[in-house]
Amino acid sequence: MTSSTPQTSTPVLRLRGVAVAAAGRSLLRAIELNLGVGERVALRGPSGCGKTTLLRTINGLIDPEAGEIELAGKCPSDMKYPCYRRRTILVEQRPVLRAGTVRDNLLRPFLYKTATDTFSADHAIEILALLGLNDHYLDQEASSLSQGEQQRVCLARALLLTPQVLLLDEPTSALDEDAVQAVERIVTEETEHRGLAALIVTHNREQSDRWCHRTLHLEPHLVTRQFGLKNEAGDASHPPQSAFSRNKPLESGEREETS
Amino acid sequence: MQASAGAIQLSTFDLAMATILVLVAGLVSLALRLQLEKRLALAALRTVVQLLLIGYVLKAVFGWGSLLAVSILAAVMIVAASRAAVQRSNRSIPGVTWLAFGTLVIVGLVTTLTVTTLVISVTPWYQPRYFIPLLGMVLGNSLTGISLCLDTLLETLAERRAEVEMELSLGATRWEAARTPLREAVRRGMIPIINAMMVVGIVSLPGMMTGQILAGADPLAAVKYQVVIMFMIAAATSLGCIGTALLVYRRLFNEKHQLRAELIVRREN
Repeated sequence: MTSSTPQTSTPVLRLRGVAVAAAGRSLLRAIELNLGVGERVALRGPSGCGKTTLLRTINGLIDPEAGEIELAGKCPSDMKYPCYRRRTILVEQRPVLRAGTVRDNLLRPFLYKTATDTFSADHAIEILALLGLNDHYLDQEASSLSQGEQQRVCLARALLLTPQVLLLDEPTSALDEDAVQAVERIVTEETEHRGLAALIVTHNREQSDRWCHRTLHLEPHLVTRQFGLKNEAGDASHPPQSAFSRNKPLESGEREETS
Repeated sequence: MQASAGAIQLSTFDLAMATILVLVAGLVSLALRLQLEKRLALAALRTVVQLLLIGYVLKAVFGWGSLLAVSILAAVMIVAASRAAVQRSNRSIPGVTWLAFGTLVIVGLVTTLTVTTLVISVTPWYQPRYFIPLLGMVLGNSLTGISLCLDTLLETLAERRAEVEMELSLGATRWEAARTPLREAVRRGMIPIINAMMVVGIVSLPGMMTGQILAGADPLAAVKYQVVIMFMIAAATSLGCIGTALLVYRRLFNEKHQLRAELIVRREN
């Protein structure tokens, strides 16, 4: 399958025959994925099929049952796991913030040993603003924020760390329409300007159509099928494209966002 | 401190009189229908039998005075203490008794030996009249601390797993992610002994000191011993908590910096 990969450069994230399990239960098998630099791929599938577990596995919080995961050609054990995780930041669906202000939360990862740069409040304010949160938020108690605000703070925390791969688990599930657009826009910009690659779990087909280059369909216990975006949209007259076919969704995506 | 000359020896009749006190408790239970009479009777019986047994064991061990006898008794005490330390927590991990055992062996022996060799300077260092009661006090107190520490740590890691994994996922090392729960657990384990040291002598006289005074010792001599005991217990509890917390940490966080939360199981009570 990898031979048909259209990416010109080596994929930043590569999954080969990955199987994942949670609590001893096998969920997904034989997942193949090449995530290119600057690529946004949607992950879709029925509830409980293991999308979240797959993201946790890619982040290295749990081991895959089988298969290999590589970041820029290196497996997580080659670099140290904390370093690996810092480059493949996971933003979980349920926002998790520590006690303290938003600033405390955004600052904290810069205190870890794996930190390569220092916290910049200006950069934080800039990202928060792009997510529709003004600079007053920086000194608010994280616990006083709404679910949707917390979700965006978690995304800001991830973006501040400038990872190579962003693993987003239903990043807009608690957001209103404006905030959804803001999130989509900032992730799109990061992928286009900085080459960030994003793997995005979503239940919303419209969202994956307008936001992502392609969709990876996950089905429990089956070898996963991959279709390009246009097929996935249900045009039956077209034969299935080859796996990893890359669509050109940017025009439509941008139109959606700016309209 | 051979003050037993001043002590009043109790006869069997005296003990029988003391039984009246338990009977009073039993009558209260009957009057208020607490349904505790049977358990109370059993508890009273166990008190007498267990203490008599240990009395004979101690008498025998004191008589032999051999290192082997002291070692066997110490081993039995440590095993019992490690079982007790882990049984009170609501959650458990595989091998937790061994973990407590390891901690108690090291902490119990180190602190007790420090006292018998450096502070009281008894010869030989294992002289059972000193070694066994001191070890007993160290174990009894540090197991309370270890038990609290363990309970807090497992509870925190199970309840706040998302927070710990969030830190890991952002690139924290296992130590950075575990530091806060570890610190809280050790703190919790040490609070009882610190509280006890704060109020000692004001609210109550410690059992050991009371015992010495009843046995005819000079109160100031008893106080000196009690200070040594309190410090010994404080050291044993803090080292016990730290040791246990670190061993749990080693078990629950692997070299891939993953939290193996699935190892934490709820104990059936």
